[in-house]
Amino acid sequence: MSLSSLRYLIREGFRNIWQNKFMAFASIGVLVSCLLLTGASYLVFVNIDHSFEWVYGQNVVVAFAKEDCTDEQSSVLLDKIKGITNVNKVEFISKEQSLLKYKDSMPKAVYEDMQGEDNPYLDAYVITFSDLNTFKETLTQIEQIPEVESTVYNEDMAKSLTRLRQIVMMVGGWIVILLLVVSLFIIANTIKLTVYSRRLEISIMKSVGATNAFVRIPFIIEGVVLGIVAGLLSFGIIKIIYGKLYEMMGTGIMGGLVDFSEIWHIVLLGFLVLGTITGMTGSGISMRKYLKDEGGISGVI
Amino acid sequence: MIEFKGVHKTYNNGIKALKDVSINIEKGEFVFIIGASGAGKSTFLKLMMREEVPSAGEVIVNDFRLSKLKRREIPYLRRTMGVVFQDFRLINNMTVYDNVAFAMRVTGSSNTAVRKRVPYILGLVGLQNKARSYPPELSGGEQQRVGLARALVNNPSIIIADEPTGNIDPELSYEIVELLTEINRRGTTVLMVTHERDLVRMFHHRVIEIREGCVVSDRRVEEKKPTLSSFEADAVDTTGIFPPSRKDGFDYES
Repeated sequence: MSLSSLRYLIREGFRNIWQNKFMAFASIGVLVSCLLLTGASYLVFVNIDHSFEWVYGQNVVVAFAKEDCTDEQSSVLLDKIKGITNVNKVEFISKEQSLLKYKDSMPKAVYEDMQGEDNPYLDAYVITFSDLNTFKETLTQIEQIPEVESTVYNEDMAKSLTRLRQIVMMVGGWIVILLLVVSLFIIANTIKLTVYSRRLEISIMKSVGATNAFVRIPFIIEGVVLGIVAGLLSFGIIKIIYGKLYEMMGTGIMGGLVDFSEIWHIVLLGFLVLGTITGMTGSGISMRKYLKDEGGISGVI
Repeated sequence: MIEFKGVHKTYNNGIKALKDVSINIEKGEFVFIIGASGAGKSTFLKLMMREEVPSAGEVIVNDFRLSKLKRREIPYLRRTMGVVFQDFRLINNMTVYDNVAFAMRVTGSSNTAVRKRVPYILGLVGLQNKARSYPPELSGGEQQRVGLARALVNNPSIIIADEPTGNIDPELSYEIVELLTEINRRGTTVLMVTHERDLVRMFHHRVIEIREGCVVSDRRVEEKKPTLSSFEADAVDTTGIFPPSRKDGFDYES
């Protein structure tokens, strides 16, 4: 294809949009709402994942060794805990370390009183599990180790987060699929309107021997431009909204929100790809149908 | 150039539009196709442009064997012919120049070629001064000349004119056919469908009459004395192609 033709086709694509401003506006609007919901689902998902990591970090079982444990027994205990299949990570915190951690929050005299034999803390093992589903069993195994004095844990939060993640994934997925179908339908209809408003031109094009590809390209360009504009708009909107949310919630509860700078490229790329594909498919559908059913030379008007 | 060999066309609704039509049109001929509406003229043109395929028989146009033509080859067949429509089919929000250039652009011509060719063609149809006008600002005759310019611009070897004078004042119709005749003199084959027998009689071209899907006559209008008015010509009827019994078969509506 010559440069002249390419320039011509692109100009025609933009002319289509301009001539059909209202419908173009409407389809961009619908596509933007679809992309925003898609984006929102994605962001919720990412943040749940983020919290999940945080909770995993928090959701540890702390096993305390018996007070009279010798150093040797302590290291045996460490090996025993490590030997349990479901244990992912074990961190040993000696009672001296624990004491040191709270040094600043207590009066100096008290701190000094607690040195050596008088240390009220116990040697602790901070244990993270690989699989939360067998939480109970693993916990029992740990508690049965003779050197273990007691354990502390919080199981519920992990459980409810797992459930939440599953729900968001499912509901979000369905909403996104549904909205994409709706957007596709609306874009196809927009293009159909342009096609109809230009059916005289199309019939002339066909009568002078323009190839189907040549007839189709301006409409495909129209669809793609609508998709890209919708993608960029959605990105701008979601960036602003998420920025505000981030300001409000910050790094507060549950490990806070994911920083937008870490995910903006995924969001932008996702929006552009989804927008372009929807636009292209939408116009492809209506052009195909038009050229097949009614794209004749005569009997058009 | 154009060959119909035993062509039948029956539409899906059972209407038999053409029955065993065999016609041979040579390169450089000027042929009128006449007949009442519904006689099969449109089907004839549609078959030529490969908008329809024959139910039986073979159509060959410019060495394209249409029954064997693949879908993607159709545009290349159509580039060998230029079509003029009864309703002009001009794009009203494009200038005369752009209407003509459009036919070149959509078949992939370069801008340079468009800039060279369009003014030349507009000159040929006598519209060089109207290039910047829009179709609604022109008379019917002028609009049809734009249509003709558009049909000519890709240099086709056949011009198909489907009732080109149907929407034009009778006095201007003559001009259009004269223009077509001039184009024909330059070597382009011209096929004009019409039901205006007065017009047909003024030019001495081959006339093919289609009635109820059959070719009922195929002859040349003989030279006649130029002093005869059309009314007198009617009375004398030297052509022999309009016997009184057939007159009622014509469609006089425009």
